[in-house]
Amino acid sequence: MTMPNGLQARQLQWSELETAARRLEGGGRKVPLREMLRFAALYRAACADLALADARQLSPTTVAYLHQLVGRAHNQLYRSQSFRPATWLAELFVVVPRRLYRDNCLRLAMAIFWSVFLVVLVTAYCSPTFAEQLIGKDQMQMYERMYADPIDGKHDESRAGMAGFYVQHNAGIGLQCFGAGLLLGIGGLFLTISNAALLGSVFGFMLTTPERTNFYHFVTAHGPFELTAIVLAAGAGMRLGFSLIDTRGYTRGESLRRAAGESVAPVCAAVVLFCLAATIEAFVSPSSLPYSAKAGVAIVSAAMLLFYFFGLGRRGEVISAK
Amino acid sequence: MPTSKAQLDTVIRIVTPENIAFEYRVAGPFRRLGAYLIDVGLRIGMSIGIWLVLMFTLGSVGLGSVGVGVWLVAMFAFEWFYGGVFETVWNGQTPGKRICGLRVLTVDGLPIRAWQAVLRNFLRIADGMPLLQLGVFRIPLYQLGLFAAASNDRFQRLGDLACGTMVVIEERSRPQAMVRIVEPAALQLAADLPPKLAIDRGVARALGRYVERRQRFSWARRCEMAYHLAEPLRVKLDLPSATNPDVLLCALYHRIFTAEVAEEPSQPPPRPMVAALPGAITVPALAMDEPAPLEIDG
Repeated sequence: MTMPNGLQARQLQWSELETAARRLEGGGRKVPLREMLRFAALYRAACADLALADARQLSPTTVAYLHQLVGRAHNQLYRSQSFRPATWLAELFVVVPRRLYRDNCLRLAMAIFWSVFLVVLVTAYCSPTFAEQLIGKDQMQMYERMYADPIDGKHDESRAGMAGFYVQHNAGIGLQCFGAGLLLGIGGLFLTISNAALLGSVFGFMLTTPERTNFYHFVTAHGPFELTAIVLAAGAGMRLGFSLIDTRGYTRGESLRRAAGESVAPVCAAVVLFCLAATIEAFVSPSSLPYSAKAGVAIVSAAMLLFYFFGLGRRGEVISAK
Repeated sequence: MPTSKAQLDTVIRIVTPENIAFEYRVAGPFRRLGAYLIDVGLRIGMSIGIWLVLMFTLGSVGLGSVGVGVWLVAMFAFEWFYGGVFETVWNGQTPGKRICGLRVLTVDGLPIRAWQAVLRNFLRIADGMPLLQLGVFRIPLYQLGLFAAASNDRFQRLGDLACGTMVVIEERSRPQAMVRIVEPAALQLAADLPPKLAIDRGVARALGRYVERRQRFSWARRCEMAYHLAEPLRVKLDLPSATNPDVLLCALYHRIFTAEVAEEPSQPPPRPMVAALPGAITVPALAMDEPAPLEIDG
């Protein structure tokens, strides 16, 4: 094997590697192939020097210097790949729907959300006191006032502000549902059930009031995207939480890491859905379009979601995650 | 990556594919708290700044509602994507982490990927439990994250555990590779030393430690400290008893570590890996011009 020819000669190469690492840390411009090869060779040489320096118990300063030099160069050499839209699109439209189609956690989240929603809706419709206990008298009056006027596109100037509010508020709730899922799934279950119960009681209560036409006029168009988004986020969170309980033979940590890698794309899809829903909620739902147009929007968006989950999800094998 | 079960401090050793083990100091909760508070302050400052800018531009031309909408979307982005975007673009650092000298890495010591940066910040909500409600504000107390960090040896909070990441302290001081000996007396003595020096590696290490720190001491103190190491070496090298111990150690350091400037090869040859074997090594091989085999006994 070859030896370093005197430490001073090596030092020249170390400082060359240091300069190269600093240039790469700056990032941005594309590095020519020759420089990259030179960098890799310098890095390997520095690694060998570090091993030698360690073995020979060279002075601690030198070893410390080489440690940080090799560390910096290592971080540049094994740098994570930059953001590639093409791979993300493939992940979102090929890998994720197939996984979600077979995802028990998503099924569970969907079943819990819709069953609680419907049960509470029917109960609140039948007994006004039930709705009052769930959402409170003040809230009930507020909802009645909100939908007292027919929807005729009066508040056009405030729509952009409302779109921002819907994104911030609804997507925030969705992401909270996701994050809380990590708490063994219990936090996610709790938030899913409480959201479903709140929504169900508002729907049930509004059905009993004279403002019901206005209410349904408003909520139809953006309903499919928004309700699917919250179920999607909650399901992704539950997948994290339950991976700690049912580890499928992995250690708990490894099981969690695998689930985490798989949960990113669904939760990002949920955020996208929330943004779409917010746009519809701000610009279509309060507009003076006839009810049939709004129902059309709802049908088209529901069809898109069905195609995503069933059309894209059913074909082909599941491609396992990272 | 095997971490020693007997780990006592916050140093994590990571073995790379090149068979090099290098060390990171993981950052504890209280170092990270500082970075977190800086980030929170920055977020608040930026949201106020954006509000003012939007109100003075869009608000003044009667588009106040658009301004409010943009501001609320910005709030959402700051709350959920601030850390994720910064840690992706700045390779594991947010502004707070950069100021405090911290960086997020994977547990294998690699730079983190975009999905890890985004996810570990989404899961902050779970780590922040329980929340303290103060009026309209909800302040995360981070008890769960603290508990999680306390129960593993890399101080990973729940988000870190899920993503396989850890926060390490970046070494600020860039240590110098070598100390250069400039004293003429030491250089003179170094030239007079026998061409082949057999120095035990433990002695070489002590030599290095001494020479790197001697600048901090007075002349008399240097001589006093150097004497214990220099005297046996002086006897072994058969030098006159008047030789100054400090000068002798500097001369030896110069000969062993920094002398003999060789020509820089234009291309460093790829080197095979070297395992760190215990044993005494004759150090002068390093200072020779010709490639020489590594001599290891024991």
